[in-house]
Amino acid sequence: MTQGFFAFLLIAATGLLSAAPAGAEAGKKHQKSESSARRNSTSNDGVAEARLIEVYRLTGQGKMRDALAKAESLVRDYPNFQLAQLVYGDLLTSRARPLHKFGDVPEALAHKAGATLAELRDESQARIKALRERPPAGTIPSQFLALSPRNKHAIAVDASRSRLYLFENTAQGLNLVADYYISVGKSGIEKMVEGDARTPLGVYFITSNLDPKSLRDFYGSGALPINYPNVLDSKRGKTGRGIWLHGTPPNQFSRAPLASDGCVVLANPDLERIIRTVEVRTTPVVISHKIDWVPPHSVRAQSKTFEEALAAWRNAKSNGDFQQLLSFYTADFNSQGKTLREWEPALRNEVERVRGRPIQLKDLSYLRWTDAADTMVVTFGEVPDGTRTGPTKRQYWIREGNQWKIFYEGNLG
Amino acid sequence: MKHGSAHITHLLRLAILAGSLSLTAVHADDYADVNQLMRTGKLAEAQAKVDQYLATKPRDPQMRFFKGVIQRETGKTNDAIGTFTRLTEDYPELPEPYNNLAVLYAGQGQYDKARAALEMAIRTNPSYSTAHENLGDVYAKLASQAYNKALQLDGSSTTAQPKLALIRELFDPNAKGQRPGAQPTPAPAAPAAPAAPAATPGKPPVVAAAPSAAPASPSPTAPPAAADSAAKDVEAAVRAWAKAWAAKDMTAYLGAYGKEFTPPGKQSRSSWENERRQRIVSKNNISLRLENLSVSVNGNKAVAKFRQDYKADALSVSSRKTLDLVKSGERWLIVRESTGT
Repeated sequence: MTQGFFAFLLIAATGLLSAAPAGAEAGKKHQKSESSARRNSTSNDGVAEARLIEVYRLTGQGKMRDALAKAESLVRDYPNFQLAQLVYGDLLTSRARPLHKFGDVPEALAHKAGATLAELRDESQARIKALRERPPAGTIPSQFLALSPRNKHAIAVDASRSRLYLFENTAQGLNLVADYYISVGKSGIEKMVEGDARTPLGVYFITSNLDPKSLRDFYGSGALPINYPNVLDSKRGKTGRGIWLHGTPPNQFSRAPLASDGCVVLANPDLERIIRTVEVRTTPVVISHKIDWVPPHSVRAQSKTFEEALAAWRNAKSNGDFQQLLSFYTADFNSQGKTLREWEPALRNEVERVRGRPIQLKDLSYLRWTDAADTMVVTFGEVPDGTRTGPTKRQYWIREGNQWKIFYEGNLG
Repeated sequence: MKHGSAHITHLLRLAILAGSLSLTAVHADDYADVNQLMRTGKLAEAQAKVDQYLATKPRDPQMRFFKGVIQRETGKTNDAIGTFTRLTEDYPELPEPYNNLAVLYAGQGQYDKARAALEMAIRTNPSYSTAHENLGDVYAKLASQAYNKALQLDGSSTTAQPKLALIRELFDPNAKGQRPGAQPTPAPAAPAAPAAPAATPGKPPVVAAAPSAAPASPSPTAPPAAADSAAKDVEAAVRAWAKAWAAKDMTAYLGAYGKEFTPPGKQSRSSWENERRQRIVSKNNISLRLENLSVSVNGNKAVAKFRQDYKADALSVSSRKTLDLVKSGERWLIVRESTGT
């Protein structure tokens, strides 16, 4: 066994051993999936990766025979898990001759499938990196400023780690319940135009759950489309459509880190867990280059100026102060193709219907998206006092200097 | 009437065979005859002779082994697998049937089964170099299959089937079954487990083996005379060990092994001892002859090499054996035992 291979796996193993929470969590996850198996019939999300990591750990500890046995049973259960096959091949090779590198395939094979080999090495690195560099305990992605009780779950994708994080929204706040290896676009991230094979960055929502029977095998066990291009994307002239979270084809357990035409691709068992868990229309999906993990209290401090702006908008609308209300909208406001001037009559109607009754914002959520601009995606039920229900509204706000203003407003169907 | 005469001929043959049973030398001739017929490609005749022999001695491992080889040569792969499988069941201590089973499985593309059989062969005899070489080839083939799956290549046409070495004879004093030019067992590239140095039996013994206790390379601390008397002590220890084995004196037999002795495979000392006890005590009759015993001593370490003619009930095995011994107090104790070339 030469140093290259050992060094690689030792690094992997040391990182994993020291990242005790990851190990503990993996174990817990397994337990949890077993207990939920009784409820859900099957739940083996994340299991294949946990077993692969166990093989790495044993290899790193020099327990080659145990590692080989575990790798063998892993590829028996997941024959299409290419990375596991590669590791199994290495462990078998190590019985016959010394290994020189991770994925020490014979020259002829390396020549024929060099690109695939490089991708498998990248996938291995990505999985290890995500498991070594865990989110600090008690932190959340900085975009999740406020979620309503109706957002029972939330999803954040960290493209730099090829990882998707699934959260449960509880009375005590957001809990990370699982995270999975994912693939993004062949050309990476920051989608601009149709066909650029990039994955969009931004705040999105799951818009539907496509029946797997209606899909080609290529999409695996299902698909959850998201609302790309969103209002901000369209405002910026971005094009393209059909960005989904979907599964993998029958011949691949997982795909390379950069593989899709822009979709976020998960292993089928992982996607199935997400499909069972999330809610169409209300589960947000934030896709970022790199997640900024922050403590929840710092998020609340950041949202203070926005909360004040939102409260002032609500007061203006409640009081029927139309000129004051108009000052909250940007000059380039656009709602379904209508400019502010074209949209004014509808707004005036709403104010007249309210007739000075205070309006309440029910189930308020707002997610912040900051790149060149600082924006907020806001969702709430607008309910005037004395009525039981009102329309569910979505607004996009943007910060202009110190002022937060609305550049889109519409009702959700 | 034809029926009757055939019956009589059969009886006669039986009588002749029965008469020959008392002469052990005749067995060797029978083996040699079959072997000769097989070598010259007269498989039908060889098979007839084997069948005839097995009719009276159905358990004879050597003839059953020939039978398996002939079945394989005549394309009856499944019959051959059956024959060798039953041999491994009846004689689990013999590595050769496992090896040939592996060759047959590999021929069918069942490399996982081939691997399991070869690992058993090596567990039975850690220094069995043919099995080691075959296993190396099987590992390489399995690795190549895994790599092809990893890279999503259609490997079926690109990689050749490994050519594994079939053992043609069970007890092969001249190691003809070994591949030509085969080196002593190559050590597996990655030690199986740190706790099992026995899995790397191919390494030359730590002590350089002098032709005998040759004064030509005297240890600087011990004058030739002392080395000579040490060699005598070692020889006595080895003969006492063989005597205890033949006498099924388990206390003396197991007592001949030092604390440092590493049992073959991944066995613990106690499970190895249990296994030895079962194997030895269950035999009715054991005879053990040591030939060409040579001893080399280096300080408090010694290596004894000899040919071991072992007979137990129907089984008769001649093999080369090497014992590594270490002096502990006044006694020489076995710390390593290896069979084969």
